[in-house]
Amino acid sequence: MKRALSILTLSLGMTALSSASAQTTVTFWTWYLSPKFDNYIKTTIAAFEKANPGIKVQWFDKQDSMVQDFIASVNLGNAPDVVNLNIDETQKAAQNGFLLAASDLTPPATLQRTFYGQSLKNFTSGGKVFAYPWYGWLNEGVLLYNPDLLKKAGLTRAPRSTSEMLNYAKTIKDKTGAYGWVPALKDPNTASFLGYFYAEGLPIYAADGKAAFNTAQHAALLNQFVTLYRGGYIPEDAVRREAFQLATELYAQNRVAMIVGGPQALTRIKDTNPGLYAKTVVTEAPVGRANVQTGGSMGLVIPKASKNPEAAAKLAAFFTNNANQLAFAKVVPIVPTTLGAQTSVQFKVTSQDPVAKATGLVGASGRFINPGYRAPGNSDDLYKNFNDNIEAALLGKKTAQQALNDSVTYWNANMKK
Amino acid sequence: MRVPWRTTLLSYTFLAPALILLAVFTFYPLLYGSYLGFTEYNGARFAQGLDPRWVGTANFEKLLADPLFLTALKNSVKYLLVVPALQLAALAVAVLVNKQLPGMAIFRAGYYVPVVTSVSLAAVMWEWVFNREGTLNWLLRSLGLTSPEAQFGWLNSEAWAFWAVMLVTFWRGFGYYMVLYLAGLQTIPEELEEAAVLDGASAWQRFWKITVPLMRPTILLCTLLSTIAALRVLEEVLVLTNGGPLNSTYTALMYVYAKAFQGFDFDYGLASAAGLVVAAVALILSFVNFKLFNRPEEDQA
Repeated sequence: MKRALSILTLSLGMTALSSASAQTTVTFWTWYLSPKFDNYIKTTIAAFEKANPGIKVQWFDKQDSMVQDFIASVNLGNAPDVVNLNIDETQKAAQNGFLLAASDLTPPATLQRTFYGQSLKNFTSGGKVFAYPWYGWLNEGVLLYNPDLLKKAGLTRAPRSTSEMLNYAKTIKDKTGAYGWVPALKDPNTASFLGYFYAEGLPIYAADGKAAFNTAQHAALLNQFVTLYRGGYIPEDAVRREAFQLATELYAQNRVAMIVGGPQALTRIKDTNPGLYAKTVVTEAPVGRANVQTGGSMGLVIPKASKNPEAAAKLAAFFTNNANQLAFAKVVPIVPTTLGAQTSVQFKVTSQDPVAKATGLVGASGRFINPGYRAPGNSDDLYKNFNDNIEAALLGKKTAQQALNDSVTYWNANMKK
Repeated sequence: MRVPWRTTLLSYTFLAPALILLAVFTFYPLLYGSYLGFTEYNGARFAQGLDPRWVGTANFEKLLADPLFLTALKNSVKYLLVVPALQLAALAVAVLVNKQLPGMAIFRAGYYVPVVTSVSLAAVMWEWVFNREGTLNWLLRSLGLTSPEAQFGWLNSEAWAFWAVMLVTFWRGFGYYMVLYLAGLQTIPEELEEAAVLDGASAWQRFWKITVPLMRPTILLCTLLSTIAALRVLEEVLVLTNGGPLNSTYTALMYVYAKAFQGFDFDYGLASAAGLVVAAVALILSFVNFKLFNRPEEDQA
């Protein structure tokens, strides 16, 4: 009996030891999601751990210093296993060799079954997909407007095209003193104005991969914005600050009549000016001549320095699956990047509440998420040069054509393949 | 006198922790950073686990050919204009508040508040001041100096943004240097002042003949610190203008920061080389400062 007990104790101990050694800890970094979405993230992690008893998830939310922390952690040998990056940063990280390809960890057929083709394309570099596409947003997803300001300007309906939008900006300012809207002229760390070229069907690159955004049509479009800016129809802070932030801030103060973008602006307006939120009208946003949308998305990437790539891939796939993206869309008006979202009933609900209405309008439109341009190699330098040239045109230091010519010359001389 | 070896050993034992910390956190980064300035070490090499590759002076040649770096360096040197203004003002106010008057402690503490205010908070506050609808324009309009049509956002103006940011640097540094000057003023023997008063010296004469000469070491220290701080200015620029408009506020440290820490396209080699150039400028200016303010005692009288 004593011997049997000893064997039982020993075998139980061995079992405990072996299960302890089989436990894998996956480090998961998100970007600007805590504390607002703690509950959603923690619930999803708990569900993942329950479904994968051998894997434990350690979650950290990073904010300003995400990229620097990522690089430092690679240097220190304690890289995270799953990291939340946007399209642009994923492209840069992939180009520089920081990432494992998602398409090497998960069968490409599975990825294609799960996500929109365009979403996968957004994260593709050198023929490989480098992220599990996560939540997205559409830059032209919805148009929010202040009906009082439009009425005061003598306008009876929302604009339906970019050119109409440009005309509205002038009319609204002249008649009300408020700005029409805040275009993304030179958002920091990206080349946002390229999105307007894409929306109008103008090419960014030529077939050989060289920059080609300096035709007469490109210059004419830029010139329209320059004319508006120099006429005082666009807030001058738009060259210094991120457009969406500025627009949300000014809209809540009745100083901007329209916001083009995702429903996420509404949650902030609801907090800062509930009265204006209640009367804000939500409708479809105007699109350019190409009749396309631009937008962005987050992805979950696996660093090359991850010590647990298989477990990391499982976690990334879990967080980005259809059910979990739809659940996230119930918490905050994101645009899921999964194919299944376009038939989801949750986006077919009609409501008069601005957030619910906006979510219904864009929730099933993930297939339109496209930044409109691919991050070029050496993009930090190239984006800065592009933005400097856009700024020079806006401030009258260069003509629109000269600014674009200078930028194209710089891009083609400094773009790494 | 011969120092017993035990005493020497004991001294070094006490010094060891500080020396080790200095070696790890100051000297090693300094030497390694200098070495990196002569190497190619960018995001791609780093991600592949490759060591830095020696390229000689290639990074420096690249810097000299980069108009953005030259603009940044020029702006940093121009930024040094804040140094004399800051030092003169801090010294003058320190002399004024170096009196035992009622409420002076509160007055001194008030000057020090900007030093301990976070830069992000300061940025929000100064945005309110410099905006088109901000308090500065309101003040100028109220005084009849500008019309509503002539108003502009100071941080969006190529002509004014640089000076606006410099004013914030002045505001942030003023209290710090004033406190150092106050400490220096406390060391001047009162008898000297009293004797000068008895001799009939005016306040102005006492300031130039007694205060300034005896404050020379403090002036040297403050000027050195202020010069280095001006060359390294980064936070104010980042949060207020991000280097714009048209790179008019883009400084050399911003260039270093952008090349070293922004995104996955970083280039440690180029950033280190740029850092070395800034350090060289700082060294030259420090030498000039020493020559100006560290004259022998006999010259000072």
